[in-house]
Amino acid sequence: MRSPRLPILVALLAIVAAGTWFYFSHRGPGAGETIPIYYTKLDGKTLAAMRVSMRPRQPDESAAERLHNVVLYAAVQAIAGPPNDVQAIRFPPGTRVLDASVNGSTATLDLSKDLERQAGGTFGENGEFKALVYTMTGIEGIDAVQILVEGNRLETLPGGNVELDQPLHRSDW
Amino acid sequence: MNWTNRFIARTGKLAFALSPMLAALAIAVPAFADSSLTATYQGQPIRFTQLSSRAGAPAIGVNDPGFLALLSDTGAFLTWKSGERFVLITTSVPTVASFAIGDRRYDVGPISLQASFAPFLVGDEAYLPLREVLRALDLALREENGVAVLQPQLAALDVRQEASRVTLFAHGGATLHARIAQESPTSITYAFDGVGTTLNGTRQTGPGGIGNITIANVGTVREPITLVTVQLQPGTIAEAPQNIDGRDVLLAFDGSSEMNSQQTPGEEASPTPEPPPDTTPASGPAIVTGVTVEPAADGVSVAIAITGSATYEWHRLREPDNRFWIDIANAQLQGPPIDQTGPPPLLSVRVRQVDPTTVRVAFSLSGPKPIAFTSLADGLDLAIGTQDVAGEPHSGSGGVGGTSAAVAAAPLEQSENGTGSTDDTSWKFGRRSGYVANNPRLIVIDPGHGGSDVGTMHGGVSEAQLTLDMAKRLRAILIDRGWEVKLTRETDADVYAPNDSPHDELQARDDIANKAGARMFVSIHANAFINSGPYGTTCYISKPDDVALGRIVESHLAADGTKDDGLVKSHLYVTLHARMPAVLIETAFLTNPGDYALLTSSAWRQKVAQEIADGIGQYAQEYPAPNQPAQ
Repeated sequence: MRSPRLPILVALLAIVAAGTWFYFSHRGPGAGETIPIYYTKLDGKTLAAMRVSMRPRQPDESAAERLHNVVLYAAVQAIAGPPNDVQAIRFPPGTRVLDASVNGSTATLDLSKDLERQAGGTFGENGEFKALVYTMTGIEGIDAVQILVEGNRLETLPGGNVELDQPLHRSDW
Repeated sequence: MNWTNRFIARTGKLAFALSPMLAALAIAVPAFADSSLTATYQGQPIRFTQLSSRAGAPAIGVNDPGFLALLSDTGAFLTWKSGERFVLITTSVPTVASFAIGDRRYDVGPISLQASFAPFLVGDEAYLPLREVLRALDLALREENGVAVLQPQLAALDVRQEASRVTLFAHGGATLHARIAQESPTSITYAFDGVGTTLNGTRQTGPGGIGNITIANVGTVREPITLVTVQLQPGTIAEAPQNIDGRDVLLAFDGSSEMNSQQTPGEEASPTPEPPPDTTPASGPAIVTGVTVEPAADGVSVAIAITGSATYEWHRLREPDNRFWIDIANAQLQGPPIDQTGPPPLLSVRVRQVDPTTVRVAFSLSGPKPIAFTSLADGLDLAIGTQDVAGEPHSGSGGVGGTSAAVAAAPLEQSENGTGSTDDTSWKFGRRSGYVANNPRLIVIDPGHGGSDVGTMHGGVSEAQLTLDMAKRLRAILIDRGWEVKLTRETDADVYAPNDSPHDELQARDDIANKAGARMFVSIHANAFINSGPYGTTCYISKPDDVALGRIVESHLAADGTKDDGLVKSHLYVTLHARMPAVLIETAFLTNPGDYALLTSSAWRQKVAQEIADGIGQYAQEYPAPNQPAQ
């Protein structure tokens, strides 16, 4: 006589799958996470933080992918900066994150060439990189940031001041 | 003002939360039976060719040429690569809208929302929920006479108060023009032509000077008009609308005369205190931005997101009436009232603005459950347990902090204003190098830029010219005082080579000082910014050896006639690679009119040179080199 265990098992699995689907498809917006995004105020020195929401880690998201996603998300937020009505030092308009990667505890951010369109002077450049480094190193597991421009490692920006050919740390400020 | 602490009635965000409801409203929305759609945006047709649908809602491929054109037209851009989970859209606000493949939830700035369906992949192409993307861009898809229209929205109206002045900060999905449509002593109506809105309704406001704000949508789909009517308190003056940055308009109301009119005749008005700079007004209402309920391992977790500082009281009734509520004082509810059923033991949650300054979050429980409160910087977390308990307290109170944290600009907490007494051996990144100058009488002065690199150009004046002038003045003073001085450049020329790399140019300047074994390295610059706001003198240093020199030179420059921006540590190439104590002086801002006048004054440049020389002299006295001859 054929055992009824297999159909029962299949039925149970189907019920569990349906329940799981129902739970994940009908639950409301989750609390998610928030991460601090720093910007430098117009005194050129003081940092302030805005918190932005971020999706919680997904079941199929590995730790490495999660760290990559957080780094990318934080970098895009930091380059965007706060809303325009907030007085802040901002990256040059059009600056984009082309790529983000993590090697050990160093996040490497490849930024678009728009970054080079600085106003001149140390004021803006210092405030931009300080806020970016504080944002990125606020991510657990990240303690340094390497800046690339269109895939290239630069010593400084053209006519610039901040040394960029080595990873930047919070202690640099 | 800090954006995370501002006093907000940002009802625009509620449009996101209301998406299913809005979709059901009698707003004509195109059907999406086809894979393409032509919609009008700002009078121009945009053709979407990579449309799909999920759950009856439109989906757009992120590489759709029409979609990319729309992003460009609205000042937004996309960050996504094939294989990435996150699809990020930076809007012109700027705000980042974050979508993730396979996840219905998405984030816009500080708010987490739920889309009609999860973004998905078709091959290598990511598809996003179109309506939600459009909302993030402050647009809405409408239809009129069979024509689809991407209608810009009046997406947010933030209410702020500073002293007696109230401002409404309007943000739209297109350039906003506010005209006064109607005005009376008790109210004023502004018309925003060309934008629709989903913010319809009347909102009570707390600030003095103005009363209710009513928002109405009139006009047609193609030519919408949004009316904003503001009730005025007696004596309140409405200032002319001010366009800021295209899509933002500031409506300001001065209630000072209203305050004065309420004074006893003969009583002097007490001066309105200036709000402290860069601090959150302690009296500013907090914003309850959302309440999230999630099942937890041992019950239910409730997160009440609050922006700003607030106090709260909570109360619970006795069994069998197992309700409890939290009254958040001095708070505004962002968005509509919330009614939600929760997983057991939570039966329901209701969130209401119960009076103009109080938000109530009320819970109904299945029994006398334990409730643990955790006050956070950005809200309040509640953990509701499953086991019935007896003897729980029936009331309590607490407070929550703001969501914005000013961060001390480490590590110069004490010396940043130039008045501290930071020991230069106490820097957290290391101790002094023990550098000993081969030539303790030699000062190397570096006039910033020069030759093919003019530095900042403003008003026909180049930074390179100014720095060379100040360097020569400084040289003359130092030589008079018995120093040997070497300039990294004597003329308007590159130090290394014309059109060289920044590295070669900066290293060449350091090489001059390093090879000569100079006692100090002083780099002179003029600052700049993208607008004329910032001004002042800043001294930058990079390594432990620089601290004392920077601090002393900065203290002498503190009274140079412009603002003293103090001493700042930074990762600057030219000061890092000078082996001796070094300082980079941004003397003033070429881009600020006041500073520009100073920089172009030879008397001021002479004064600056004198003050730098005085600083060098004091430093040499206080920190004599082991082999330094007496000056």
